Amino acid sequence: MRKYWPLSFFILPGLLMYVIFFVFPAISALGLSLTDWNGITPERNFVGLANYKEMLTNDPIFAQTFGNNIKYMLFVVFFQTLFSLIFAMMLVKNSRMNVFYRALFFLPTIIASISVAFIWIFVYDPSIGSLNTFLTKLKLDFLIQSWLGDKNIAIYSIAVVQCWAHIGQVMVIFIAGLQSIPKSLYEVARIEGATPWQTFRHVTWPLLAPSATIVVAYTTLQSFKAFDLILAMTDGGPSYATEILSLFLYHQAFNNYKFGYASATAVIFMLIVASITLLQFRILRANKVSY
Amino acid sequence: MSLPAPEPQKSAQPVPSRKWPEFLRHIPLVLYSLIIITPLSLVFFATFKDLSQLYTNPLGLPRSWDLANYTRLFQNENMVVYFKNSMIVTFTSVFFILFFGSMISYAIIRMPKWTGAILFSFITLGMMIPTQVNMIPTYVFFAKLDLLNKHLGLIIVTVATLLPICVFILTGFMKTLPKGLIEAAMIDGASHWKIYTRLVLPLSGPALATAAIFCFVIAWNDLLYPLLFIKSAELKTLPLALLQFQGEYLTDYPMIFSGVVVASIPMVIIYTFLQKYFIAGMTAGSMKG
Amino acid sequence: MSVKLRKDLVVLTILMLVAGLVLGGCGQKKPEAPKEPEKTVIRFAHWRGEDKAAFDAIIKKFEAENPTIKVEQSIEGSEKHDTKILAEFQAKNGPDVFAVMPGARFANVVKGGWFLDISGEKFLEVVKPHLRLPGQDGGKQYAVPYQLVLNDPVYNKAIFEKYKLEPPKDWKGFLALCETLKKNGVTPIIFDSEIGPGQFMNPMLMNNMPSDDALVKVQKGELKLTEDWFVTTLKQFKELNDKGYFQKDVLGTKKAGAAALFAQEKGAMLAQGSYMMASNKQANPNLKQGLLAPITVSADKMKYEGIHTATFMIAVNKDSKNVEAAKKFMAFLFKPEIAAEYANATGQMLTISGVQYKTEELMEQAKWLEKKTLFQPRYMITVSEVEKAIVNSIMDVIGGMAPEKAALKAQQEVDRVIKK
Repeated sequence: MRKYWPLSFFILPGLLMYVIFFVFPAISALGLSLTDWNGITPERNFVGLANYKEMLTNDPIFAQTFGNNIKYMLFVVFFQTLFSLIFAMMLVKNSRMNVFYRALFFLPTIIASISVAFIWIFVYDPSIGSLNTFLTKLKLDFLIQSWLGDKNIAIYSIAVVQCWAHIGQVMVIFIAGLQSIPKSLYEVARIEGATPWQTFRHVTWPLLAPSATIVVAYTTLQSFKAFDLILAMTDGGPSYATEILSLFLYHQAFNNYKFGYASATAVIFMLIVASITLLQFRILRANKVSY
Repeated sequence: MSLPAPEPQKSAQPVPSRKWPEFLRHIPLVLYSLIIITPLSLVFFATFKDLSQLYTNPLGLPRSWDLANYTRLFQNENMVVYFKNSMIVTFTSVFFILFFGSMISYAIIRMPKWTGAILFSFITLGMMIPTQVNMIPTYVFFAKLDLLNKHLGLIIVTVATLLPICVFILTGFMKTLPKGLIEAAMIDGASHWKIYTRLVLPLSGPALATAAIFCFVIAWNDLLYPLLFIKSAELKTLPLALLQFQGEYLTDYPMIFSGVVVASIPMVIIYTFLQKYFIAGMTAGSMKG
Repeated sequence: MSVKLRKDLVVLTILMLVAGLVLGGCGQKKPEAPKEPEKTVIRFAHWRGEDKAAFDAIIKKFEAENPTIKVEQSIEGSEKHDTKILAEFQAKNGPDVFAVMPGARFANVVKGGWFLDISGEKFLEVVKPHLRLPGQDGGKQYAVPYQLVLNDPVYNKAIFEKYKLEPPKDWKGFLALCETLKKNGVTPIIFDSEIGPGQFMNPMLMNNMPSDDALVKVQKGELKLTEDWFVTTLKQFKELNDKGYFQKDVLGTKKAGAAALFAQEKGAMLAQGSYMMASNKQANPNLKQGLLAPITVSADKMKYEGIHTATFMIAVNKDSKNVEAAKKFMAFLFKPEIAAEYANATGQMLTISGVQYKTEELMEQAKWLEKKTLFQPRYMITVSEVEKAIVNSIMDVIGGMAPEKAALKAQQEVDRVIKK
């Protein structure tokens, strides 16, 4: 055991900062979930689990919001992971051209979300929007949609923007992961006459599992925490069709002045994200083959 | 302790290019580049328009390549000061995040399995707390400590909130480092500090670069904490300064966009610079293979 | 890792530390250097980024008159403004002078006890008593509206003249007007889903409501949204939508898109409010604009010609360390000549009597001071869920839901929220 003690010096500085300046306020925030605090007056009454009960049994908006969150997450996690993996595999070599492509794909991540929202509002705009104009010119009128106005489509329209903004970002993780795969394994595969698919299935994918875990978990989290983009593009509308949990709890806290209720949502939010992440770890780890 | 001589090595090529001519590879890449560039060019073009041009012709080319918005930005506003403030906060925060984060990640992979897993979960749970609910208690707490309206307070809160992401990314990668190498060094009698600085950090080049890129972008664009913490004009960061162009009914988008373009330049430079570290981690793989 | 790269790493590290510590050092010290010790600094927090330059000029004058006081503006969008001041008040760290919206927002700051009671202050006298009402609670004056907004659609005069149209006097006339425009290939009404429903609902409701405080009664549970007056209003929205008097895809149109359409003269009316006139003018200097409200009943049943809102209320923080300086600044803003300067620079009409309006748009708005207008019903609601339920019922109808069903859905949400 003695050999582990020096490790505490590695942990302490960061951990202390994290606990004092992040965990401490967070716990007091989450503790509010058992109260009816309105965020304004000093008094707060202990109400037990009443907030949770109201949320889980009597709030149709919460239920709808949760459903939206799942749709949003599945779409973003699937497409963002898929495309970032494909592009990472194409751009893994450090050639000049590839470095340029990588930087280009990364650009939307750098741009502040207010501009991203503004751009896409004009892309999706039904009257002067570029997307519908473009589709008309290509004689693809049947594809024209009310991108942000249709209750069934709006959440996916925003999910597309989320992917657009972050594919280049998570691609970085995949590239880092791909680059740590020993080249010799590919040589072996080539000598043994493996097809590209076999090489991917038996060499790349198993060794990529750690980075895939990071990407999937990070993307899941990002999709749950998406906030600025949706706030700026639809503010949860039309009729709560794009309201996701992070926006819901913000509205509860700062529009409806129900801090206790918002905190209860935050606790549920954490539980959901944590269990999804755990599940993903399980699935992706099962895939890992040790050499 | 002797370090393995790092051999210059070519990068891996998971996609064998035997059957595919090089130019075919560029088709999807160019297509996607267009999907990226076309909307972004709207922002870029808008910086050369005035408001009436933007509203009467939002998607088209500007009438002239007039730099008026950029000159206005730098004349009227303390852009240089905001720039400097953003630099101070971002660079200092990212430095400490990487430093503390990599030490914690090292400790996690070196600890007994369960202790490490508990510490990892405890820290990464921090990523899962929605900021929106956390902000009032955080604000009140920082007010009590008299850390508001100071860059120090902003740096502290940035480090504390971004540490989980850094630990999350770094631990994932450090787990894949060849165990044999570290154990060999341990048997040689190297201290944890020596293994961390001489072996683990150099081998984690791509991972550190990845974590750094993530933290840089998040810290640089962060609006929430500067908004809450900073009051004095001379302490404002760039994104916060750009807010004043956002009106209730009339937002000066050309100005905001000019600011956004200017603000993204340092990130592009940092990104390109950190790219260099991607190839560096190759040695990690070569050990194993 | 190659030697070169390790060198780079060292360089990067040093760079970060230098940037952080050296610049950090002077960044921390600098702000204290230029401050003269005796100056009282007060902070004025509001959300109108478009007014920054106008306020800067006014502050300059104020500081010249009061050399010991320095005023700092802190401007954030209204959503961020509300969030920020809430956090600041919690920590007794709020701005000295701040802007607040009437309705639910105002009610909550009252609840927090953060307003300084300014009843009886002399500078209030320039504001007509009925315009001071939105800033009162329990007989005390806590905030005073600065701007006077007309929440009625803006119309394009050139288009109206071209087809020889006049603002109509009743619902039939309004439909006929829309029909003429539509026949001539002009979109009659541009209606966005971002701020449109919350604005357009007011003139649509003003003559349909059984009493002026009908929405307050809804919030108290005394009136229901499933009653005839509200369902009729929703049906009228449906009628406008079904007949194609709005541009295509209302729900997908945002305020920026709507403003662009109006600036490009692709539509005759913009269902927002007078505050858009100045920005429309900036977006298209050739525009000639007027205001009109739809009269949803026959001419003889008309009670109101339009809607007004006294908004952008200004208040002083009770816990301010510089209450006197703050009051002085507030009084300065309410001086008619200063107010006139603000109004003409920003294109906003004000609550202050005796202000000379100079721009075309403002003179157009000033005509409405003589008309019979109702205070914006939406701002009489103090429970934001009720407001959202009403706005959503309009969007639901536009989205194709039957008016009765949308009304019932909204009433159910109201019942759920107010039962406690």
